[in-house]
Amino acid sequence: MAKTETKDNNSLTSKTTNKLFIDALFSSIGDGAIATDEFSRIVRINSVGLSILGLKEEEVVGKWYPSIVKSVGEDGQEVKLMERLITKAYITGKPVTGRAYYLHKDGHKIPVSVTASPILLKGRPIGAINLYRDITQEYEIDRMKSEFISLASHQLRTPLSSIKTYSHMLLEGYMGKINRDQRFALKSVIDASDRMNQLTDTLLNITRIESGSMTISKKVVDLKKLAKKVVSEQSIDAETKNIAVKLRLQDKPAVANTDPFITKEIMSNLVSNALKYTPPLGRVTISIKTDKDRVVCCVSDTGIGIPKQSQEKIFNKFFRAPNVLARDTTGTGLGLYLIKSLADRINIPIWFESITGKGSKFYFSLPACMPKNTNKTTKESGKSL
Amino acid sequence: MVEKQNNIYWRLVDITSHYLGPAAERFIDRQVQNHLNKDPKKITQKDVEKLMDWIRGAVSLLTDNENLVEDYIGELKKLSKDKISRGTDRK
Repeated sequence: MAKTETKDNNSLTSKTTNKLFIDALFSSIGDGAIATDEFSRIVRINSVGLSILGLKEEEVVGKWYPSIVKSVGEDGQEVKLMERLITKAYITGKPVTGRAYYLHKDGHKIPVSVTASPILLKGRPIGAINLYRDITQEYEIDRMKSEFISLASHQLRTPLSSIKTYSHMLLEGYMGKINRDQRFALKSVIDASDRMNQLTDTLLNITRIESGSMTISKKVVDLKKLAKKVVSEQSIDAETKNIAVKLRLQDKPAVANTDPFITKEIMSNLVSNALKYTPPLGRVTISIKTDKDRVVCCVSDTGIGIPKQSQEKIFNKFFRAPNVLARDTTGTGLGLYLIKSLADRINIPIWFESITGKGSKFYFSLPACMPKNTNKTTKESGKSL
Repeated sequence: MVEKQNNIYWRLVDITSHYLGPAAERFIDRQVQNHLNKDPKKITQKDVEKLMDWIRGAVSLLTDNENLVEDYIGELKKLSKDKISRGTDRK
């Protein structure tokens, strides 16, 4: 009898210790932590979590999670419940990490880095745990960095323009005859300033996208005309590199409702990328095809291709595949990141196929629209594309 | 066109649509693909049982109404135990 009592007491002590240990563990987490039950009622929150949200424990525990932890977008609009990370974690059954804005009790937005995971007990979900960290400082540093890059890029454009203009004038002999060595030197200066111009354009576009200041203005765009314009603009570069650029256009109209500037940037960057990674005597082809309600654009090349193990990371910022690094050390790894960011900005899919040593095909598709509107809207916009 | 479909799948979607409206089919597809890793159209009554806890958790994040969630889960429990003819015709 006494033995059983001792056993029970030990078990009780063990349970209490266990509970105390879990309490201590939960409150010691350096990030905000909220646990919910299977009905999304908050069962536990630590002090860091309370402080980030500006709430007290009694205002939180027992309440329905979405009514307490409110997530808003950049524009302050509440994020749909289906889109929230915790819902995604429940739907996928896996931890989901991302960034969000939570609403503080006083109504201000707090940028947070979140990891939401379902809590599993013997394989069955019994709730969820949400870990979040206030990243206001990181956001501020990021914003300052973007502002600096934007300012620096703008400031670089003015001297670059002078360098280019005077170099061209010298090359054309406006300031006296030049010899072969001087011609070579001037051409190198012009090439370098072209590259720098391209880089400043890329940096400016990236900072505009990342800061959210790139506005979208959708119009009816004739993609066949747009492709011809892109090819004509890049023809000198292609000729210099001895690469054939071909346009493959179908007779059917290829008209889409899209932002003309962003679409042209995507196409131009894809073509210039293809030219960059295609060896002399190679071929770059731009094809436009209308398929049901989408216009599909494809830029293919006979270039070096993307190794299979690098394909997953190819749109990452600063990423450069090993076969690119081996042949060209001047790139930045921003080209495809910019293209993907631009595509995301206008909400269109972009994808690719690639075989190392044979070439790559990059596709993007846009919502097609009826061709009869082309003239009207183009007239209204005052631009011919 | 008449084609053979999985009765369980369509009944599950039908029940779900009373609670989630037009999102039902997509919701069920995602649940089946993510948690059971199988073709949603091939689910069985046993699978419905396996999914119930996940569905309860996900729907509870979409509504504050516990009664509604339990009502929904009750319907799913019935479905998982019902005698159902397999491979009925569906238009």
